[in-house]
Amino acid sequence: MMSLFLHYLSLPYLITGIWFTLAVTALGLAGGLILGVFLAAMQLSRFWMLAAFARGYTVIFRGTPLILQMVFAYDALPQIGLKLSAIGAAGLALAANEAPFIAEMLRAGVLGVDRGQILAGQALGMTPSLLMRRVIAPQAIRTMIPAFGNETVSALKNSSLASVISVQELTLRSTQLASSTFDFFSIFFASGLIYLLLTTAVSLIQLAVERMLDLDRPPSEDRLSRLMPWYRAPLTPEPIGPKAAEAKSGPAQADNIIPYAASKDSRSTRADRTKRAETLAHNNVVVKVDGLYKAYGKQAVLAGVDLTVRVGEVIALLGPSGSGKSTLLRCINHLEGWDAGIVMVGGRRMGFNGDGKLLSPRAIAEERASVGVGMVFQQFNLFAHLTALENVAGPLRWVHGLSRIDAERRARELLERVGLGHRMQALPRHMSGGQQQRVAIARAIAPSPSVLLLDEPTSALDPELVNEVLEVIRRLAVEDGLTMIISTHQLRFADEVADRVVFLSDGTVIEEGPAHEVLTNPRHPVTARFLSVMEADKPV
Amino acid sequence: MIARNPFGHVGNFRSTIGWARWSRNIAFIAACLIAIGLPGYAKAAAPAGCTELQAKYPAWKGKTLVNAINPHTPGYEAIDPKDPDKYVGFDIDLGEAIGECLGFKLTYKPVTFAALLTTLASGQADIVISDIYATEERAKAADFITYSKVFDGVLVAKGNPKKIDGINMSMCGAAAAENTGFVEVPLVQDLAPKCKAAGKPEPTLQLYDNNANCIQAILAGRADTYVNDVNTVDQAVKANPDKLEKAIAVTIPYSVGIGVPKDKPEFRDAVLAALILVQKAGTHMALLKKWDLDVNNFKEPDILSVK
Repeated sequence: MMSLFLHYLSLPYLITGIWFTLAVTALGLAGGLILGVFLAAMQLSRFWMLAAFARGYTVIFRGTPLILQMVFAYDALPQIGLKLSAIGAAGLALAANEAPFIAEMLRAGVLGVDRGQILAGQALGMTPSLLMRRVIAPQAIRTMIPAFGNETVSALKNSSLASVISVQELTLRSTQLASSTFDFFSIFFASGLIYLLLTTAVSLIQLAVERMLDLDRPPSEDRLSRLMPWYRAPLTPEPIGPKAAEAKSGPAQADNIIPYAASKDSRSTRADRTKRAETLAHNNVVVKVDGLYKAYGKQAVLAGVDLTVRVGEVIALLGPSGSGKSTLLRCINHLEGWDAGIVMVGGRRMGFNGDGKLLSPRAIAEERASVGVGMVFQQFNLFAHLTALENVAGPLRWVHGLSRIDAERRARELLERVGLGHRMQALPRHMSGGQQQRVAIARAIAPSPSVLLLDEPTSALDPELVNEVLEVIRRLAVEDGLTMIISTHQLRFADEVADRVVFLSDGTVIEEGPAHEVLTNPRHPVTARFLSVMEADKPV
Repeated sequence: MIARNPFGHVGNFRSTIGWARWSRNIAFIAACLIAIGLPGYAKAAAPAGCTELQAKYPAWKGKTLVNAINPHTPGYEAIDPKDPDKYVGFDIDLGEAIGECLGFKLTYKPVTFAALLTTLASGQADIVISDIYATEERAKAADFITYSKVFDGVLVAKGNPKKIDGINMSMCGAAAAENTGFVEVPLVQDLAPKCKAAGKPEPTLQLYDNNANCIQAILAGRADTYVNDVNTVDQAVKANPDKLEKAIAVTIPYSVGIGVPKDKPEFRDAVLAALILVQKAGTHMALLKKWDLDVNNFKEPDILSVK
């Protein structure tokens, strides 16, 4: 029995069968992947006809046995003139059967990528295809590898069904051999062991790929990921030694940021403020919002908002949670649509062409990039798979066509400015919230936007990290004269940095005026009540 | 293990003295020469008349046709245990003899028994020579050129514990293993009402897709009997003499046929004409002997074709 088993294990006839098994598996997986990409794209598409077609395909091919699909591809397709070889028909059937499963994996992988990163990419002017290539796919692929391993093993085993349509693979060869020699069990133990070796090999490859794509691995061993299309070699090595060690011991210590409390001396006098307000009043309008109305069902989030922002102005958007601050900011760069009203940025009507027709997502992305609306989010939304440096430099190359060297120089310069010169090669997950938000600010201002929108930039931070971020924003306002709209609950900060305060409640602007005036002497009772609740942080 | 050692006859020949015996052994010599090897046989001259036949039916000369087979029937068609890349057996040799006469070569496509005719109908194969019984029902899917009578054997476990002696009342309450699509399947099914009328339990049917699985079903104690071509049954008994036995041979009112597509009557006629020449040259009979099959299987060809 044992010698027979070894005889069949090494029999060239069975060994050759492995190649047919592998050929069918490879065809099935490759074809399934191509079909699966199309199916997933159709299901995620905004055109319902495509989504419905993909759904129908999935129902049919996931809901019928592979063995029937094999026989169909082999015996029925020739009736309509499509006569494939046995391997071809088996490969086609396996591909058609794998496609819905692979499509679901792809879809889950894509939907699994943090929605905030996609918003951030859109805000940076990335087109949908660019987002897919640079942000979604690299992250989705990493999460999908275990599922791909499973699918490969399952396809390998399923390829045995090709035996019913005369593909000379391992199972068919085993049964034929058993019929002619009657050594039933030795043969099936041998072919069983061969299958086991093949599936073990797949598992090992899966583990190796997972290891190679692991972002936390030391870069010196990063062999495969260097071959990946999204990999970019650093132009200069990351500083190592005492500085890095210091960074690990506590991120706050290593940052050369002047604490926000220390900036009191830069607080402008009342006379300075009046003078500045007069100058700003003559500047060009950069953002103009007119009668903006948006509702979810019957609930209006924005009930006719008007807002004018001039070049160099810093606007603080105040108001209770749910008053529409975030929605207003998102409408300004058209991350969200609205029901009525007009938003003009830099003289352009955002999201619409000259005839007032809604632009495609791609065209809106291009418009955001060319008009220059930067955005900073509450949850930072850094691209999780990229280093701090790449988070800033990447979009400059992809969206604005900068060369590697120029993009990297600009990124380094900005990261130095926000006090993160020593954290350039760090991944977002290895940085503190304050550091992440500072990278996000550097990323948003890298393309020199004409206006920067900041959506509660410190709300997600631990209290001790708030000041380092506020200090960066303050410097942008004071030193760069950047036009900014900031939604915030930091009243003291608003008083110091903002030129004007706009107070939103229930989707309408209930009070608006010079920052210090509104904050110290509110006229509207709602504003007064809100400010008194926020007493602790109220300016005096 | 499958084919009887052809040189077994040679020893017999050497011990023979006298012209009478010599002449009786001429047939053996012929069989031996044929049996010595397939290549030697394939290079032998085609029967007389084949040249004329190729002139009459030139369409297949020089072509390579696909023969769909269910290669799980040692003696008729199975892979060669010594060289598993080759198919060997009576049907293989007969098909190549016909091919040689008409000037075509054959390649083989192994499929399940139930898929033989669908493979032919879909154009994935050109011909089916695979010990398939030509029935009216099957003739709806293909035309047949019949070439062999059918004798079935009843395979049972050693000692025939259920005392089964054919597809008859002795099978009531027994479990019969059969291949999907076999003609024996409806015969066993037809027993059910008769058993019931006689107050006996109905026979149960287990369907598999090749002989090996049917034989394994008996060896594993899952099935009580397997009724199939007597040669297949003999081979199974030979491989497991202490576990299996042949209960009895029964006659089944069918013929074995070569399947050809219904829409190619000219090909059917060409195969028929070639088979007649092959039979006249004595090749058919020699092959029966070579593969240790009962010469009573021999049958002059007919065509079975239904609309």
